[in-house]
Amino acid sequence: MSKPEYARMKFYCDEDLCIDCNGCVVACKEAHEVPVGINRRKVVTINEGIVGKEISLSMACMHCTDAPCQQVCPVDCFYIRVDGIVLHDKDKCIGCGYCLFACPFGAPQFPQDGAFGIKGKMDKCTMCAGGPEETNSPAEFNKYGQNRIAEGKVPMCASMCSTKALLVGDSTEVAAIKTYRSVAHGKGISTQSYGW
Amino acid sequence: MQSSTFFTRNKAYIFTLLGLGLVGFVFVGFMMIMDWEYFLKYPLHVILTGDTSGVLSEPTSNYQAMVNAAFGPSYNSIAPEIIRASNERQEFIWWVFVAEIAIFCFMYAKYGRKVAIVTNPSDEVQVFSIFHRAVIWLNIIVISALIITGFNITWGMRSGGGDIAFFLRSSHEMLGLVWLPLWFAMTLVAFKDAKILFNNSLSKKLILKGSYSPMGRIIFIVFVIMGASLLFSGITIWYLHPDAYTHSEFIQLKRYLLYVHFGASVLIMFFLMDFVYSVMVAVKGNLKGLITGKYPREHLEQLAPDVLKDIEEKR
Repeated sequence: MSKPEYARMKFYCDEDLCIDCNGCVVACKEAHEVPVGINRRKVVTINEGIVGKEISLSMACMHCTDAPCQQVCPVDCFYIRVDGIVLHDKDKCIGCGYCLFACPFGAPQFPQDGAFGIKGKMDKCTMCAGGPEETNSPAEFNKYGQNRIAEGKVPMCASMCSTKALLVGDSTEVAAIKTYRSVAHGKGISTQSYGW
Repeated sequence: MQSSTFFTRNKAYIFTLLGLGLVGFVFVGFMMIMDWEYFLKYPLHVILTGDTSGVLSEPTSNYQAMVNAAFGPSYNSIAPEIIRASNERQEFIWWVFVAEIAIFCFMYAKYGRKVAIVTNPSDEVQVFSIFHRAVIWLNIIVISALIITGFNITWGMRSGGGDIAFFLRSSHEMLGLVWLPLWFAMTLVAFKDAKILFNNSLSKKLILKGSYSPMGRIIFIVFVIMGASLLFSGITIWYLHPDAYTHSEFIQLKRYLLYVHFGASVLIMFFLMDFVYSVMVAVKGNLKGLITGKYPREHLEQLAPDVLKDIEEKR
């Protein structure tokens, strides 16, 4: 019997198309009611204002296959779903911040909600897949935000991206879209075949 | 008469340096995943330029520029060591303490406990003032709490996280802030070698009586340097609260400081355990002395003549 083939969910931001509109950031914050001071997604721009050289990139948790946050977490609060989405259990999290030190992308976010501004429990992009609580329950929404994946929907950031720079889905599908954009000059969206 | 060669006078320093050198050699050479060139250049770059981003040379491509702006540069220079060290602390660090306790058990079995023969217990001498005792006991209480809350993070796998572990973790930061003035007071009070430089009424009142043995001096130096490292790194990490938009500007500094925090905590713990053994276990009578502030004169004559000499000189 052959093994079932699961999707491996990934984000990809096509920097040729990202226009630094921050629509993804706003959509994410609004959809998940993310508190002020926490940005699960952010847009980084270099060479701002220099025509032809400005590049923007929308970033969040990249849901690494070999996630360093999971390796470093002292209370083992991270878990990786079969489809590759990296999630964490806020009931276990102690807010130590080790995941932030290990993450190459600065994805883990910490609310400053304790006495004297101590760190709260970690918050990060869930790829709109909620958390370990009951699916689409109020508890899940309060801790992790919407669970759009369970409803068969695309994560909010990618669904709101006006230029379709931000792609999400099975990594092979995302790679196929990028390949199509690179080779299909003159048809539909066309971007360069290489990155930065 | 005991011979006084360079080696016998300085063997505590020599063995400590050899021990630390050996452990350092094994760790640096074979275990740590650190870019040591970057590790040395980075703090100099921060001090000389005030730039904490960790970009030591200008990017030569858009790719490099984007990586620097988006993620912070040179991920592979410090972060892998943070991951390795975290796991190592979780899995193996307690063996260091087991080994140290085993050494103490061996020393206790071989050398026993020093006990003074006291025939006149009512003839007591005031050694610690109320200020000394307050500083010492507050340090003991706060350091104990810091150890418990710190190991709560290190050994989080044992607790499995949750609200109590979260409370203890957040207490660690607050306790660190509380410890800052206490560490400073202890550094002043225990700076016995300062008597060589200052010999006035204030220093006589403020600084603890007696003089350091070589091992005592090493413990004091470790306490001061590692305490300063822990406080500076811990408070700076806390102050540089992670922010979505400043990540790449500070993350390398935070990684660096966390590494310093890791190293300093292990070293200070090792020597503090040594101190606790040599003061509380190896010699009888110190606990009572630390509570009341007084010691029988005969105890001091037999076990701490330097302290008695200091007190009598003051009179």
